[in-house]
Amino acid sequence: MDFDWTEEQRDFRATVRAFLDDNLPPDWEELAHGPGSAVQTTFSKQFCGALAKAGLLVPHWPARWGGRDADPWASFILAEEMWAAGEPRGGQYMNVNWIGPTLMRFGSEEQQSRYIPPMAQGQTLWCQGFSEPEAGSDLASLRTRADQHGDVYRINGQKIWTSYAGHADTCFLLARTSQGKGGISIFLLPMDTPGITVRQIPSIIGEGDIHEVFFDDVEVPATAMLGEEGQAWTIVREALSLERVGIPRFALASRMLHRAVEVLKRENRFSHGAIDQAARAHAACEAARLGSYNIIDQRCHGQIPGPEASAARFGTVNAERLVAEFVVEHVPEALAGGDAMLQAHHQRAIVAGIASGAAEIQLNLIATELLELPREPR
Amino acid sequence: MDFTLTPDQAAVLDAIDRLGRQFEAKPTDFDGFALEGNELETELEDGGYFDIAAIPEMGPVTAALAVERLARSPYTAEVALSMLLRPQLGMDLPRPLAVVENGRPGRFVDRARTLLVIDGETIGIAHPDAEDLEPVESLYAYPMGRVTGALSVQALSAEQADLARTWIRVACAAEIAGLMQAAIDATVEHISVRKQFGRALGTFQALRHRMAECAVLAGGVRRLALKAAWSGEPGDAALAAFHAQDSAGKVNYDVHQMTGAMGMTLEMPLHLWTYRMKALLSELGGRGGQAAEVARHCFAGGSGDE
Repeated sequence: MDFDWTEEQRDFRATVRAFLDDNLPPDWEELAHGPGSAVQTTFSKQFCGALAKAGLLVPHWPARWGGRDADPWASFILAEEMWAAGEPRGGQYMNVNWIGPTLMRFGSEEQQSRYIPPMAQGQTLWCQGFSEPEAGSDLASLRTRADQHGDVYRINGQKIWTSYAGHADTCFLLARTSQGKGGISIFLLPMDTPGITVRQIPSIIGEGDIHEVFFDDVEVPATAMLGEEGQAWTIVREALSLERVGIPRFALASRMLHRAVEVLKRENRFSHGAIDQAARAHAACEAARLGSYNIIDQRCHGQIPGPEASAARFGTVNAERLVAEFVVEHVPEALAGGDAMLQAHHQRAIVAGIASGAAEIQLNLIATELLELPREPR
Repeated sequence: MDFTLTPDQAAVLDAIDRLGRQFEAKPTDFDGFALEGNELETELEDGGYFDIAAIPEMGPVTAALAVERLARSPYTAEVALSMLLRPQLGMDLPRPLAVVENGRPGRFVDRARTLLVIDGETIGIAHPDAEDLEPVESLYAYPMGRVTGALSVQALSAEQADLARTWIRVACAAEIAGLMQAAIDATVEHISVRKQFGRALGTFQALRHRMAECAVLAGGVRRLALKAAWSGEPGDAALAAFHAQDSAGKVNYDVHQMTGAMGMTLEMPLHLWTYRMKALLSELGGRGGQAAEVARHCFAGGSGDE
């Protein structure tokens, strides 16, 4: 058991940090304010392009797809540094973490050659068409329909709270092809297909983050289906297992906690109440960090992370909440024009327990699969 | 970063686990608080397990894992300080070890051959005569004792005192990690079979979520304790002890709520773990004391990055 980094891992982290130093503009912290804004999306394409040229966008992908077959630590170190810097990759982090790997696993040759290279070059943005007005955590009840008519599927329905949809090139869309839980399929849908309407929903997260997306007789060729008809559940479960600890939120939370403490120390305000709360938040960040490292370690040893991934995720939710509360209580001016990055963190932190599967769903999984408590009656 | 045990570590911990299994059932005729594991202690002594931290292939991480595992037993013996602190101070410290903090009664003080005497900011070592110690009845589920005679205390240097505090904190965190896990396991077993309103308590989401939150805390306490044992850094130790003491309060409350009246009985061994945790809540100034150290070491400047 070893908690130290290898020399190679240290070098890799230093390389990523040097890249960030060289490539983030002086006004980056103001720019990072709207995670799905037009400004950040444009910047992210330029930034990810440079990242790709430096061999730092998809190091853990197979060489065939532009990576260098690095182990899962490389992708996680990269993700830690990116998220701690305010995620300059914008929504493209999803390509790197799970959309690309999912297409490599389940996509047809045509889908792979069409969609994976632009991801590896940092030139494309995807959105995730999962949630609907009547189907959030209960994804199995989604209603958007994809009816087959010869060689095409005709899609009708609505998605909501869709991140990055305003500027996305392609949607990873879940739609119902028949009744029941097994009747859901995945379509890779270009967002410029006629019949798609996107409306931004103003949100507390920041500009351009969430949207509603309408599908009116949107026709896609049958070849746009990912995997087989009715295979969505299997594919999504695997994709989300990559995403459960996909965002190292504790990394930005920890950095923001230290920034807030520095403010208090400068002003001689870092005293008892604040010290106790800072210790609690810091412990939560470090516990979340080690919980996530545990999952990456499992992946490195060829294991498929089980319910401990849900525990790691919930630990991260705790860390985000405690840091956000600390800032609001002790450095309230940060959210009133005092510090753009502390404010951006606060706006993102509220999502921690909601996006990629609600925290309460994680608690259910922990109860059933880790503690092996009897299931709730249905 | 590799959380896999080496074959040597796995072999020793497997042996510790087998030993622990011999002492995993509370005797049905025991209805007290301090279930003493004298036989367990003899087995550990005979097997040379108290010295595993000093073996290069094992190190303090293996010792911390052993402490965590043995703390899950309903039987208790002075294990944590012997395994984790004793090898660090570079002096001959006959065991059992115990801490006397500002004159208060302490765990295993009644039988200690080495005392760490904490008086405000200073720490000294004493080797008491048996007649200077006496047992104290308590709720804490450890054998407790106090010093009754005058001690000859040899003060530690400031550097040694800091080292002692660091490893007391690691020992505290590792022990709480095991106690917490045992309390959670016992509670999960109870709510999996105890039925109310026609179904097992563990099927009610209100309880499932709280237990899941306890499990998340316990995992964090364990990993922070192991990291602190690995690094020996005072900041890591303070953070691990803080998180352990901070989490123990919630876990203690929740497991007693969920086991209800059954958990109030001395028939169920739950109190052996929860009241031991309570004994550890005040060590080295409790949460406030650890938080001050976290502030000193972890917020000394810098970004908080890995």
